[in-house]
Amino acid sequence: MTLPDPESLVSSLHPLEVAVIQALVKAREATDAELAEAAQMDPARRDMACGWLAEKSIIECAHESVAHTVSLTETGQRYASGGTPEARIIGALTAGRELTMASLSEALEMEQSEAGTAVGALKKAAVITSGKGGALEMVPGADLAQFERVGALIAQVASEGTVDQATLPEEQQQALDGLHRKRGKSKGVFRVDEHRTRTYVLSRLGSEVAALLKDRAQIEEIGQLTSRILADGSWKGKAFRRYNINLKPPRVAVGRKHPYRAYLDQIKAKMVAMGFQQMTSPLVQNEFWNNDALFMPQFHPARDIHDAYFVADPKHSKPVEEPFFSNVAKVHADGGDTGSTGWNYKFREMQSRRLVLRSQGTADSAHKLSEGPDIPGKYFSIARCFRYDQVDATHAPDFFQVEGIVLGEQINFRTLLGMLKMFAHEMAKADQVKFVPAYFPFTEPSVEMHAKHPKLGWIELGGAGLFRPEVTGPMGISEPVIAWGLGLDRMAMVALNIHDIRDLFSSDLDLIRTTRGGV
Amino acid sequence: MPTITVHRKDLETLLGIPFDADEFERLLELVKGELDDVDAATGEMRVELNDTNRPDLWCVEGICRQLVAHREGSGKGYDFFAPRTAERQVIVDASVSGVRPYIGACISRGVTVDDTLLTQLIQTQEKVCDVYGRKRRSIAIGIYDASGLKFPLHYKGVSPSEAAFVPLGMDEPLTLSQIAEMHPKGQQYAPIVSRHAQWPLLVDDADTVLSFPPVINSRQVGEVQVGDSELFIEVTGTDLRMVTMVINLLAANMADRGASIDPVEVVFPEETPFGRTVVMPRHLERVQAVTLPAFRRVLGEDVSVEELVKALTAYGYQARTAASGVEVTVPPYRDDILHPVDVIEDFAISRGYDAFAAELPAEFTVGGLLPLEKYSDRVREQMVGLGFQEVLSNILVGREELTDHMELHGAKLVSVSNVMTASYSVLRNAVLPSLLKMEQQSGRAFYPHALFEVGEVAIPQADAPMGSETRVQLAALLAHAEANFSELTAKLEMLFFYLNTEYRLEGVDHASYIPGRAGRIVVGRESVGIIGELSPEVLENWGITVPAVAFEIDLNALSAA
Repeated sequence: MTLPDPESLVSSLHPLEVAVIQALVKAREATDAELAEAAQMDPARRDMACGWLAEKSIIECAHESVAHTVSLTETGQRYASGGTPEARIIGALTAGRELTMASLSEALEMEQSEAGTAVGALKKAAVITSGKGGALEMVPGADLAQFERVGALIAQVASEGTVDQATLPEEQQQALDGLHRKRGKSKGVFRVDEHRTRTYVLSRLGSEVAALLKDRAQIEEIGQLTSRILADGSWKGKAFRRYNINLKPPRVAVGRKHPYRAYLDQIKAKMVAMGFQQMTSPLVQNEFWNNDALFMPQFHPARDIHDAYFVADPKHSKPVEEPFFSNVAKVHADGGDTGSTGWNYKFREMQSRRLVLRSQGTADSAHKLSEGPDIPGKYFSIARCFRYDQVDATHAPDFFQVEGIVLGEQINFRTLLGMLKMFAHEMAKADQVKFVPAYFPFTEPSVEMHAKHPKLGWIELGGAGLFRPEVTGPMGISEPVIAWGLGLDRMAMVALNIHDIRDLFSSDLDLIRTTRGGV
Repeated sequence: MPTITVHRKDLETLLGIPFDADEFERLLELVKGELDDVDAATGEMRVELNDTNRPDLWCVEGICRQLVAHREGSGKGYDFFAPRTAERQVIVDASVSGVRPYIGACISRGVTVDDTLLTQLIQTQEKVCDVYGRKRRSIAIGIYDASGLKFPLHYKGVSPSEAAFVPLGMDEPLTLSQIAEMHPKGQQYAPIVSRHAQWPLLVDDADTVLSFPPVINSRQVGEVQVGDSELFIEVTGTDLRMVTMVINLLAANMADRGASIDPVEVVFPEETPFGRTVVMPRHLERVQAVTLPAFRRVLGEDVSVEELVKALTAYGYQARTAASGVEVTVPPYRDDILHPVDVIEDFAISRGYDAFAAELPAEFTVGGLLPLEKYSDRVREQMVGLGFQEVLSNILVGREELTDHMELHGAKLVSVSNVMTASYSVLRNAVLPSLLKMEQQSGRAFYPHALFEVGEVAIPQADAPMGSETRVQLAALLAHAEANFSELTAKLEMLFFYLNTEYRLEGVDHASYIPGRAGRIVVGRESVGIIGELSPEVLENWGITVPAVAFEIDLNALSAA
């Protein structure tokens, strides 16, 4: 390792570092405590400054010693005033009291576990035995020395507060080890703390730095450049203190788009770039636009798939606009003039007017068909939808669907596939796609597209199809229409590194601030 | 979407070839199916069928029928759909006419029921009745041991308090009313017919009860068991075409397992679309012609008649050349062909989607955003520049978040009638509560907090077509130890400056804000929003412990002002 040159080191020293160096120049060598004293700084700052200096090899640790101090835990303090359980049992038995294992803890007011441990220890040392009926008895002539030693040690530590372990006689150290280990941390009698003392000296490099520092001391350094200094020109001929530019700055709150909204903004931009116009419709729909206009019969199980939230009040919309209502009712009943047989049932107006929270983005497309769309034309919507589902990691109470339509004489099954391929390329950077037959009540033919995403592998990217003539006819559209929908949530979750769909709409500011996004 | 359980051995028998998971998965595309789960140890697998109009595919027999047709190049012919005379009859009494008017039946002989078949029979019955039959409202299926039945059978309406029999799952005879009241199936399905004075009953000529359609079979003859080899199959419902089609598909299923099918004649009290007496199974006589231009228009390329006939035949149709294209007869176990496009899709599936060359439409279109969206994006950009963090919230929320928490008791809201969870029961009518909810949950995020959201809200409006209006609103919230009115008005001032809009504030008393510290934001003569210091009550309601100031602006109104 090549050491940095002392010149540049001197220029970048922090005032705390300078203070430590100066203290060491005076003292030649100093312990942590002496340094804090000499440099007049608290231990935290001293440690920080010493850490920096040691890293720059300006100071070295000449000597490090470890001392262990012994003090009493709460239990220990209790024993100091009332005696250890062992001593109290010995005392009580010696005084002639009749004790059994069962009566012990109540009679001497000690915890059951404490009493148990003490009796165990006393029996093991052959100080007491169990006699008739479980009565505890002293063993005549037993050696009580080890229990007395513990008592003495507790008393000594209690009177001195802390004791350097090294100063204790060997037998007491042994007793201490036993009690320290045996009873674990929480219930121990003694606490043994480790204290490290470091003694620092200046390194060779440090001495050079110190010498330069002494020369520099003649020149006044400028900390903060101020308007006053600029105005009076007093900065001239002075040096600026060099900063440590590697300090980690604090976090600041910034103005920023929501990561998922930013993702959706990009989708929006992509759609516009591909020639799509935006379309929209209300959050609350009647079943007419949500289902009927999409040729989903009022009795059909597909309406179970789209289990919706129904609105409480009012329950029904105003009458549906004509001629759409009559056209759709007729196409359901007998196909109207679309060439279809229809569903062959009695279409109910009030069900059609039942209000629901939009359950599929395709409702927006149905509205657009009725509004005289451009032909040729392309439309998209990012629609908030609602499903009657239990909310969990894969179901949010409401969510976005990206859907749309493409109208024109050139629209057919092959251009449908072509458009989906373009979506795969533009939205998922996927050039490998697979088309699979699918079922949607409002399209025929229907297709599902699987695409090979660079990170996720094969994913279901979307569903699409050509709107059935029973959908377009009643809206007055005679040209073919592609209906498409993209499943982008999974890609969004990967882009945002989110695993729970609810986190896309999280109420946790910290999560939003730390979600980086990037699509 | 129905999901069914299929056994590998059963599948191999019906397919006639050894099972290969990858190959099977690929073939399932022909029936819009997905293989969910294969248990290598038991040979059980789960298959999800996506086409809700093809109940014939919701069983292993139907899936295999379609796949075998593909392999063989044509569907299996069944002789029992052609007109025949039947030895056995079901006589329908006029008393069921207004209740559940239609019944169809057939008899399967020569296949002995084993455990696998029994499971599959029950599964098919359940899927067809639940999904296609709308939980038995339009279709219910009964299967019986035919050996003891005395024909003709009688399907008639009876008084629910008088007619009685021992239903499945019980030991004692119960009247139909008692079944409706006490039996689990009665409680579930009797409401389909219980509003009528007379309820349907199916009995044989010796008055032995077969079942109380669509509710429950009798215990005596209505429980198919392993070992039975002569099965009587009946279907009741509200639509003769549906009933016939379900009989057809059940007959085809049994025939695919080697059974011979005996027809049953149903004698109706009056004319039906199929005549007064109907022998089932029978053709539905659904013929669809599709012209070559129609194929061309949908598929985007010319297809030869020969190729069409070949591919449609391989998909189970009887296909032939017709005047300007092809004509197909739809298999009698399907009734999902409403329009020529349905046949065209089947052709595309049969040929394989891969066989179509993708191409981009050449027509040029100009893309663009809606004016309100553009305006909202401009506002969002300004808010970000002013130092606010954008948030995005769910808009189906709890009622108290919009009312009591805001000290706005009893506000009118768009609320849901089929509430699943109280916390998702109303559409928000303002964005600010969403920001307060975030503030409530973000006390540990470092301060200051500057939040905004531009989002949709629903405002009840009696004269609106849908009873409410969807509007886009902007809300902003500043929360930190020294947050106050003037800090936020400074931001508001800059926002309006860059939106190039003159505004003024008019003092207002609003329950969510501290009196004397709130104002309407007025543009021209229209109030477009409100700004103020949130009242301590509101902060307390939300459990927020720092001062907060907020504004909310209607962007529909502002962009139009």
